[in-house]
Amino acid sequence: MLELRELVKRYGDVVALDRLSFSVPEGKLVGFVGPNGAGKTTAMRIVMGLLASDGGEVLWRGRTVGESERRRIGYMPEERGLYPKMRVTEQLVYLSRLRGAERSAAERDAGDWVERLGLAERSHEPVENLSLGNQQRVQLGAALVHEPDLLVLDEPFSGLDPGGVDFLGSVLVSEARERGVPVVFSSHQLELVERLCDSVAIVSGGRLVAAGDVDQLRARHAGRRFRIEVEASDPTWLDAVPGAARVNGSLVELRNGVDPQALLDAARAAGPVRRFGPEQPSLAEIFREAVVAPSAGEEGRT
Amino acid sequence: MTGFRAVALVAEREIRERLRGRAFRASTIVLLLGVVGIVVFAAVQGDDGPTRATVVVVGPGSEQLGRSAGARQASFDLRLELRRAASAAAARRAVAEGDADASLASGGTIAVAHDAPDGLLPLLRATWREASVRSALRARGLSADEVRAALAPPPARVVSIGEDTGGGQTLAFVGTLLLYVGILTFGYYVASGVVEEKGTRVVEIVLSAVRPAQLLAGKVIGIGLLGLAQLVAIAGLGIVVALALGSVDLPAATTETVLVSAVFFVLGYTFYACGFAAAGAIVSRQEDIQSTTAPLAIALVISYLIALSVLGNPDSTLAQVTTFLPPVAPLIVPARAAQGALPLWELGLSIAAMAAGIALLLVLGARIYERTILRLGSPLTLAQALRLARSANG
Repeated sequence: MLELRELVKRYGDVVALDRLSFSVPEGKLVGFVGPNGAGKTTAMRIVMGLLASDGGEVLWRGRTVGESERRRIGYMPEERGLYPKMRVTEQLVYLSRLRGAERSAAERDAGDWVERLGLAERSHEPVENLSLGNQQRVQLGAALVHEPDLLVLDEPFSGLDPGGVDFLGSVLVSEARERGVPVVFSSHQLELVERLCDSVAIVSGGRLVAAGDVDQLRARHAGRRFRIEVEASDPTWLDAVPGAARVNGSLVELRNGVDPQALLDAARAAGPVRRFGPEQPSLAEIFREAVVAPSAGEEGRT
Repeated sequence: MTGFRAVALVAEREIRERLRGRAFRASTIVLLLGVVGIVVFAAVQGDDGPTRATVVVVGPGSEQLGRSAGARQASFDLRLELRRAASAAAARRAVAEGDADASLASGGTIAVAHDAPDGLLPLLRATWREASVRSALRARGLSADEVRAALAPPPARVVSIGEDTGGGQTLAFVGTLLLYVGILTFGYYVASGVVEEKGTRVVEIVLSAVRPAQLLAGKVIGIGLLGLAQLVAIAGLGIVVALALGSVDLPAATTETVLVSAVFFVLGYTFYACGFAAAGAIVSRQEDIQSTTAPLAIALVISYLIALSVLGNPDSTLAQVTTFLPPVAPLIVPARAAQGALPLWELGLSIAAMAAGIALLLVLGARIYERTILRLGSPLTLAQALRLARSANG
């Protein structure tokens, strides 16, 4: 398990990370989300030892992460980077050896990954000759070629076409499920995070504002929104229900303390009820609620 | 993984990728051709034979004068074409009109053109002197054989003292040029390699696996080994060609000069490479390294100019002072060594001064590199970079 504990990072007077803590268990995918400038990249760079923190610690399997542990991490930086003139396979072999692999093992693994990434025919070409999509595949290979114990990926899905997104998603899931690797990645694509991840950590302004199992988070945030379909003769029936407001269409939000049964009663009085039930919020809605000011959270559309 | 292994891996990659690169191959070929060209040129220069000169002899006994002048032509590196003239006036006219370079009348009058080849006038004077002596001896009643014997004494034994510095100067010139070009070229490789890694952001992946100091050391060592190999290959080829042509005098100090040059390439390259690495790390784009490497390039150009002024004057005060000045010494010391003018103690002290300079620049350069290699954005000024290097943490 990877643990970030009370990480603090300051740039002059600006607090980039404010006692940020969360953990990534073995075999789990954790989505790291937050608006731009929330501190995601800063936190990941501290994990990778590229940036010194001003407080807190990073633990891997209960011990402070050091150089040898970091070499066992697969890392994809926010801004992609490879040696443009270096050939595909040689690049993967080099990066793998730099992380401690023996030459023969590195060559075998690089060959396997080039195959798996569908780049076998381009394996002897300089990376700069490849299309952007293929370069991103090599970048993924660079993060995975040394069979890392842990994956830390900064915006791995950004810029991928739908096929690339599916491919990367399947690779990450198999790394976590089959090899038991903890995976943490940042993303702005919340539907994707919701679909792939076991849990999320939501940061804003350097602080953790929500974290945990995606299903539990949704359940916790459920209970205030209801999907209700009524064949009402008077479409303004909802206005008569105190503490209830239409979000959009058939989605209704109740203020805290309002009994859902009162909503149902009012609906039945207005006409036959076709559908009634609690609506679980999407991750995007939880995100908006947690990050944006609560009053603003009710305005936007999904 | 040990630090040594990390450094070796980085160095290995640098060598492999540079060997494959067009820039390195092209520069190697250009330098090889250049050095072979200089050596061949020097050989041809030395081999173009005696200078031609036309001399008009006139008057009674002019035949003897002509023979006597002809016998001297080789020692003055001249090849004479002798003509006769009917009168002294005709001989002078021939010189005045440019048909001849000089005239010699048996009465002892020499007319010489302004643009006559060097050595012609001394040759004619010697010829005249011999003719005078000859007739004086004959007048005293010596036989023709006795006169000939008196005028051709057995050659003196010649003991040469000191080195022949002529070949030494050519060697110093070529060596200094190679060192200058080598340090500048391979220094730029370091700077542009650093910027390439920084600009493409691959440095972030690399530095999550190895320390900045290891990456820097591997890069500087790898590129330096390549530079040393190139220098040795070029120097070796130059010497082989010179020996094969046989006409360039390699001074006695050739072996020592090549050794000293190799040592000072390593020292000078290391000294400057620290600076070039820092110059690369403080910018993010290739376009910007021209300005940050400019101080280093200027220091090298100045060193080169000083080294050129030391050619033929290897014991000057300037040469002796700059021998102990780290930025300049790498180009001065080999030039002095080639001209056989370097006492051993000066060599030792110079190496010590270089080592001290390298230690200083290594610490400074590495600190600037470590503090700036992960920074993005606008280039730093030198002052900002130095402030970063001094600050307690990056």
